[in-house]
Amino acid sequence: MENFPILAIMTLFVCAFIVSLVGRRNAVVRNVVVTIAVTVPLVMMLCLIPTVFIDGETIVYWLGNWAPEADWAIGICLEVDGLSLFFGLVVTVAVFVSGLYSFTYMNHDDSLVNYYTLFLMLSGSVLGLVLSGDLFNIFVMIEIMTFTAVALTAFRNTYEGALEGAFKYLAVGSLGSTCVLLGVAMLYSQLHTLNLAQVAALLSSQGTNPVTIAAFAFLFIGFGSKAFLFPFQPLAADAHAVAPASISLMISGVLTKCGVYGIIRLVYVLYQNYDQPIVQYLVTGFGAISMFVCVTMAFNQHNFKRLLAFHSISQVGYVITAVGLGSILGVGAGLYHAMNHTIFKGLLFLTAGAVQHQTGSLDLDRLGGLGKRMPKTCLLFLIGAASISGLPPFNGFASKWMIYQAAFLHGVTTGNFYFIFICVVALITSVLTLASFIKVAQSVFFGQLPEEYKDVEEVPLTMRLPMWVLAILCILTGLFPDFIQEKLLTPAVNAVFNVVGYIDTAMGTGYAAASGVTAAGIEGIAVTGTWSPTSWLMLLFCITCAVAIVFLLASPDDKQKGFPVSSADETAQPLDAKYEPFFSGEEAVYSQVGGSDLFWGFKHSWRRYFHFMHDWHSGIVNDYALYGAVAIAFVLLFCIVLL
Amino acid sequence: MNELLLNLFYVLVFPGLLFCILMGILLAGLDRVWVARMQRRVGPPLLQPWYDFLKCCGKETIVPRHAKKAVYFAAPVIGFVALMTISLFLPVVNGRAAFSGTADLVVILYLLTLVSVCMMVGASATGSPFAGVGLSREMVAMISYELPFVLVILAVSRATLSYDAGTGMPLTFSLQAIMEYQEANGPLITHWSLIPAAIAMLFVIPCEVGMHPFDVSEAETEICEGTLAEYSGPPLAVYKLTHMVKMYIMTALFCVLFLGGLTTGILFFDVVIFILVCALLTFVTMSLPHAVCARFKTEQVFKFYWTVVAGLAAVSMILVWLGL
Amino acid sequence: MFEKLIDNSMAKSPWIFHINAGSCNGCDIELVSVLTPRYDAERLGFKLTGTPRQADIVVVSGPITVQTRDRLVRTLAQVPEPRVVVSLGSCPRSGNVFKGSYAIDGPLEKYTHVDVSVGGCTPKPEAIMAALAQAAQILAEKRKEMRK
Repeated sequence: MENFPILAIMTLFVCAFIVSLVGRRNAVVRNVVVTIAVTVPLVMMLCLIPTVFIDGETIVYWLGNWAPEADWAIGICLEVDGLSLFFGLVVTVAVFVSGLYSFTYMNHDDSLVNYYTLFLMLSGSVLGLVLSGDLFNIFVMIEIMTFTAVALTAFRNTYEGALEGAFKYLAVGSLGSTCVLLGVAMLYSQLHTLNLAQVAALLSSQGTNPVTIAAFAFLFIGFGSKAFLFPFQPLAADAHAVAPASISLMISGVLTKCGVYGIIRLVYVLYQNYDQPIVQYLVTGFGAISMFVCVTMAFNQHNFKRLLAFHSISQVGYVITAVGLGSILGVGAGLYHAMNHTIFKGLLFLTAGAVQHQTGSLDLDRLGGLGKRMPKTCLLFLIGAASISGLPPFNGFASKWMIYQAAFLHGVTTGNFYFIFICVVALITSVLTLASFIKVAQSVFFGQLPEEYKDVEEVPLTMRLPMWVLAILCILTGLFPDFIQEKLLTPAVNAVFNVVGYIDTAMGTGYAAASGVTAAGIEGIAVTGTWSPTSWLMLLFCITCAVAIVFLLASPDDKQKGFPVSSADETAQPLDAKYEPFFSGEEAVYSQVGGSDLFWGFKHSWRRYFHFMHDWHSGIVNDYALYGAVAIAFVLLFCIVLL
Repeated sequence: MNELLLNLFYVLVFPGLLFCILMGILLAGLDRVWVARMQRRVGPPLLQPWYDFLKCCGKETIVPRHAKKAVYFAAPVIGFVALMTISLFLPVVNGRAAFSGTADLVVILYLLTLVSVCMMVGASATGSPFAGVGLSREMVAMISYELPFVLVILAVSRATLSYDAGTGMPLTFSLQAIMEYQEANGPLITHWSLIPAAIAMLFVIPCEVGMHPFDVSEAETEICEGTLAEYSGPPLAVYKLTHMVKMYIMTALFCVLFLGGLTTGILFFDVVIFILVCALLTFVTMSLPHAVCARFKTEQVFKFYWTVVAGLAAVSMILVWLGL
Repeated sequence: MFEKLIDNSMAKSPWIFHINAGSCNGCDIELVSVLTPRYDAERLGFKLTGTPRQADIVVVSGPITVQTRDRLVRTLAQVPEPRVVVSLGSCPRSGNVFKGSYAIDGPLEKYTHVDVSVGGCTPKPEAIMAALAQAAQILAEKRKEMRK
C-alpha cells in the first residue's frame, strides 16, 4: 500500500518512455499503453482512499529507503496525507478523462507518439508534485510540468499563434519557476533541509526572519504564477486558445490546481501563518483580483477556448480567495470548488474541443446554431455552463455557495469589512460568469446555423463518453454536497490543519511537539447555511408532476387539435414563410447576433475599463514579463514590510 | 401519512402552486387595472391576465425553423417550476416557511437567476435575431439589479445575524433567522439604517420582474417582444404565467426581508393582510413607475442600478456594519 | 377539462398585430386612438403586440403597395391559428384613390381571407372598436371550429 504513490508516478513516467519506444510501430499498442498508464494511477489513488481518508493515516515513502537519520531528513520522500490524496484524485481523474478523449480527438494530427509521451510526462509530473514531500522535488516537478506543457501548447504548430503562445508561456513561466527555485534555495540556506515536514517544524521552532519571509513571497508568487493568478493570466489565455482541448483540460484543470496546492501547502503547512490578517489580505486580494479581472476579460473574447481560459483563472481566483480566508469553512469551500472546477471546466474544454473537431473553428462570431447538429454536445455544454455559472443544483453552485458563506462568516467573525467586499465581488463575478456563458450558448449552440456548417455531424461516442463521465460527476457532486463534505473534504481539510500529524509521520512522533507546532486537525466542517439539493429536487419533481397532470387532464382527446404544434421538421417545406423567424416581414436571411454584439449596455458603460484592459493585455511578452516582475516586487515588499 | 399529506398541501395548495398562481393573477390584474386608472382609462377586467393565459393555451405553437425544439419547450417549463419552488422557502405567513431546511437567501437569489436564465436560453434557442438582442438586454438588466440585490441581502443578513443555539455558530443568510429577529425586534423597515436598503429593494423588484420602465428585454415596439419574439401558444402562456408569479414572489420576498414579524395571531387575518401588503407593494413598485415613466434605455438601466440603487444599498450595508 | 375555459377566453383577450401595407398613416393613427382613454380598447382585453407570433387579430391598413406585398404575405403566414384578419379603411378593400396605380397590387382579398372589413377614409374609432369586437367573436368561433 505504501508503494502506491511512487508506483502511480512511475507508471506514468515509465509508460511515457514505453510509448515513445513502441508507439511508432503500432497505434493499437500505443493506445493500449496509454490506457494502462492513465488507468493504473487512478485505481491506485482510489485504493489509497480507505487508508488515508477513512483511517486518517498519512503515508510516507522514503525513496531508496533514505529514512531520516538523527532527526535530519536527507532523502527524498513522498508524503501522502488527505490534502495530497485529494489533489491526487482530482489529477488522476482529469488525466484519465483527458487520455481517453485524446484517442479520437487527436486523430486528425500526426506524430502522436510525441503527443502521448509529453502528455504522460505532464501527468506524471503533476501527480509527483502533489504527492511529493520534498521541496526541491516539487520544483523539479514544476519544471517538467512547465516544459511539457509548453511543448504541448505548441503541438499544433500550424495554428496561428501556437508558437507565440508557447513562447510566452515558456518565457514568463520560467519567471515563475525561477521564483520557486529562489524560494527553495533561500529556505535551504536557512534551514538546511528540503523536507516539507521538517521545514514546517523548523520554521515553527526557529521563527521567521527576513530571508524566510522573502522565501515565502517568492514561493507564493511562484505557485501563483503556476495557477496563472492575476498578472500572469494572459499566458493562460494565449496557451489555452491554441493547445489541443485535451491539453487545455490538463492546463486548466490540473496545472492550475498545482498552484493552488502549492499555496495551500505553503500557507497552511510550511508557514502556518494563515491566521495572520496580512497573509489573508494578500491571498484573498490576489484571488479576488484574478476572479474579477479575468471574468471581465472573458466578456470580450471571440475565441471559445480563450474565453474558457479566462474563466478558468477566474474560478481559480475563487479557490484562492476561499483558501486565503484561513477558516476551516474557507479551506473546505476552496477545495470543493477546486475539485468542481476541474470537473466542469474539463467538460467545457472538451465540448469546445468537440466543436473544434467537427467544425474546425472556435470563432464565436462565425459559429452558431450547432445545437441542432450536435444536440448531445449541446446538452453536455449546458450542464457544464450551468455548473460554472453556479446554477442550482449543479456542483458549481454548491461550492460557490460555500465560498459566500465562508467569506461572509469570516467577515462577521473578524468584524472586517474587507471580507464582505470580497463576498460582494464573488457574487458579482458569478453573474458575469453566467453572462459570458449565455454569450457562448447563444453564439455557438443556439441562434442560426451558418450555411457552411449545415452538414456538421455529432462527435463519435468515444469522444462523448469522457464528457459524460465529467457531466455525471458535475451532477453527482452537486447533488450530494453533504456526502462530499463528509467523505472527501473533511479528511482533506483535516490534513490541511493537522500539521502535527504531517510532521510526526515523516520525522517521528514527538518531533512536532518539540518544535512547538500545535495545530492538530479539525472535527469537521460546520456549514452554517441551508442548502439541500435533493430535497429541492424532490419539490421540483412534485411541482413538475402536478403541472404535468394538470396539462394531461386539460389536454383534449385529439392533441393535434387541442394544442396544435407545427414545426418545420414535419412539413419539410424548406422556405415556408410560416417557419422562418420574424424579420419584420423581410425575407429570412442568415442573421445571428454574434458574441461580440451581446451585452452592449454593459460594455458601453464600462468602456473606459475595457479600453484600459485591452491596452494592458498588449500581447507583448516583454510586457507580461514586466507585469510578472512587478508582481514579484510587490509581493516581496508587501511581505517583508508587513510580515 | 399525515405529514406527507401536509407537505403535499404545502407544495400544491398553500403557499405553493395554487396560491402562487392565484396571487400572480391577482397582482398582475390589479397592476393592469391600476395603470389604466392612472391613465384615466377603464382598464381591463381584473381577471384579464387569466384570460390571456388561457387564450395563449388555445393557440397554435409554431416552432421556427432555426429553433432547437427540445429547449424551446423545456425552457419555459423549467423556469416556471423553479420559480414555484421559491415560494416554499419564503416564510410568508406565520413566520415559518413550508420547507425551511432546504434553502437560504443565497439559494433564492440563484433560483431567481435560474428563472431568468431559462428565459434567456429559451429565447436563444428560437434562433431569432430579435430574441438575441432581447436576451442580451435581459442579461444586462440582470447584471444591473444583481449588485444592489446582493448588497441588500448582505446588509439584511448582517443586521439580523443570530447564532445557532446548539453549536454557537452564526447562521448565515437564513430566512428563518431574519424572521425571528424581526419577531423580536420589529420589522427591519423600522430600523433607520436599513431604510436605504429597503428603498433599493423596492427598485430591484420591478427590474427583476421585468415591469414596464425596466422591461428592456421585452420592448415590444423596438425589438418585437425581444426574448419572446418567436414564442406562441402554450409555451408563451407559461412565460406569461411565470411573469405574473414573479410579481408575487418578489413582493413576498420584500415582505419577508423588511416587513416580517407582524402578526395578528389569527391565520386568516394574517393571510389577508399579507395579500393586501403584496398588492400595495405592487402598486408602489410596479404600477406607479409603469404609468409614470417611459421605458429606459439599456445603459440607463445599468447606470441607474449600479450608481443610485447600489449606492443606497451600500449606504445601508456600511451603516449596518458600523453597528448602527 | 379546460376546453370550455379556453374557448370562452378567446374572445376576451385578442391581441392585435398591425401591418401597414402602404397606408397614408391616417388609419394607423385612428387605430392608436382606439387605445386612448376616450375609447380604451383594453377594457375588452385588446393589446398591441410587437410580433405576429403572439397575434390573434391582424389589422391591415393601406392599399397593398407592390413594395409591401411580399412582406404582408410573409407576416400573415407567421401568425398562428386561430387568427382573424381585419382590413382597416377603404384602401385594403378597394385601393381607394390609389386604385389603378402601377404601384398597387390590391385588394387584400387576393392574399388572404378577410374576416372583418371597416370602411372609411379614415374610419371612425367607434367603427374600429365595433369591428375589433366582432373580430374577437369570430376568433372564438374559429377556435371552436378548429377543435372539431
